[in-house]
Amino acid sequence: MGKLEGKVAAITGGTRSIGRGVAEAFLAEGASVVVNGRDPAKGQQAVDEMGGGDRVAFYAGDAAKQATCEGIVDFAVERFGKLDIILLNSGGVLNTAPVSMMSDEEWQLEIDWNLNHVFWGMRRALQHMLPRDAGRILVTSSVEGKLAKPGLPGYNATKHAVNGLVKSASKEVGTTGITVNCILPGLIETDIVRNTGPQSAEMMGLPSYDAMIDLFAQESAIKKCNTVEQVAAVAVMLASDAARNITGCMFPVDGGTMPY
Amino acid sequence: MLGHWDTGGLSDQWGLHMGELDGRVAVISGGTRGIGRAIGEAFLRDGASVVINGRSAEKGARAIEEIRADGSIGDRVHFVQGDSSVREDCDRLIDETVATYGRIDILVNNAGGSENNAPVAELTDEAMAGALNLNLWSTFWCSRKALGHMIPQQWGRIINISSLEGKVGKPGLAIYVTAKHAVNGLTKSMAHEVGSIGITVNALCPGAIETDMMKEGGTKAAESMGMTYEALLTWFAQESAIKRLNEVEDVALVASLLASDAGAGITGSLISIDGGSAPY
Repeated sequence: MGKLEGKVAAITGGTRSIGRGVAEAFLAEGASVVVNGRDPAKGQQAVDEMGGGDRVAFYAGDAAKQATCEGIVDFAVERFGKLDIILLNSGGVLNTAPVSMMSDEEWQLEIDWNLNHVFWGMRRALQHMLPRDAGRILVTSSVEGKLAKPGLPGYNATKHAVNGLVKSASKEVGTTGITVNCILPGLIETDIVRNTGPQSAEMMGLPSYDAMIDLFAQESAIKKCNTVEQVAAVAVMLASDAARNITGCMFPVDGGTMPY
Repeated sequence: MLGHWDTGGLSDQWGLHMGELDGRVAVISGGTRGIGRAIGEAFLRDGASVVINGRSAEKGARAIEEIRADGSIGDRVHFVQGDSSVREDCDRLIDETVATYGRIDILVNNAGGSENNAPVAELTDEAMAGALNLNLWSTFWCSRKALGHMIPQQWGRIINISSLEGKVGKPGLAIYVTAKHAVNGLTKSMAHEVGSIGITVNALCPGAIETDMMKEGGTKAAESMGMTYEALLTWFAQESAIKRLNEVEDVALVASLLASDAGAGITGSLISIDGGSAPY
């Protein structure tokens, strides 16, 4: 008997990296899962690879767009009849820069992708969950939701913001059967980090991508990066019925990086 | 994708993995009832061998009997009598764990509490010393001794049962609040000392739970806070988002995760299990 038997979950992003790892863990625990990404071909490939049969579906769309964040919720309800769990997971930076050089376009992208996406998806999910008096809302935040690094102003600001949003929402629905929590991973070497990392490293004033990885690893106690599997284990736990009394929590998976 | 946990060599040693904690050895200070008992039972379900501890041999024997009523447990649970506020007893708890099961993988510093709470202006030295012994020194003594075994094997989990009061403060509970804040500091420091060698150290910070101990000591604690026991419980519940108290199973759930191989990436954390009470 899986820990999420019969549950329906939606994950923004989810064709690869953290979202994919959580999707696979949810499937292994018995849930049905909707994953999301911009590219239908990659989405189909991910669905095929995950091997969940009828229990896994793909919803195409850009998580930085309101229509996608609301659409994935509606799609999950339509496809599987309800929504028990949502992991608002998509996020990142594309062309980050120090504040003095930050473009309006990048700033707006980060606001939409990292913050508005969480708001749009959470609002829609709550509209389905509140009448049922049950639900689990999880947000992939970051150590950067508590810390700050030079060259990542938009990421720092938006991850701090989602932490605030989650705390507020958790108090709004605290007496219902809905919990709202953040997971705060340290750096994980995902595909997206490999893709955007070199540019981010430059903006952080570091000599190389490897130096950026090293900076994150060295500020931790474990002196290495975190893994997708570590995040997935926490997501499963927080998504389970047993976690009914854990809410508003900033759950760390950071190898001892954050000071609080 | 899943299934590539760092198993610390145990899968080779024990063969097929069934429970998350198969082959692991855990010791829990306190543990005959309340939070420690719930954690012990969760670890047993996950396949570990578990040593529980308490001052009363009689209560310990009863706990063992109750736990063994589940026929699958057998020799995987053991009781060591001892007072966690005494160094010799803490050292002996770790020694007897290793003597009984051959190793120690997981230490839960669970024994804690405070007696003779009072506002600081009226607080006795004895009350402060008692709270520090039971919450802080016991955590230090057991951890120091256990690390002696964990460091050579390059694998370990130390889980300190702290409190919401390790992050915030309430009037009239200064000794408890002070001791739990100190435990959180010790947790962070230890985590950084052993972080790169496969040992994690975390503190769990539960909100108020109506355990037997709370029922027994809650009235006097409430008195020190200038209120009734019922008002104390209401205060704790109302400062949370869920507007109710936590339960021992909430803490056991997170303890199981931290103890597992998947917990390898979580250390130095002060994890709130408080229904949304702590501000950070």
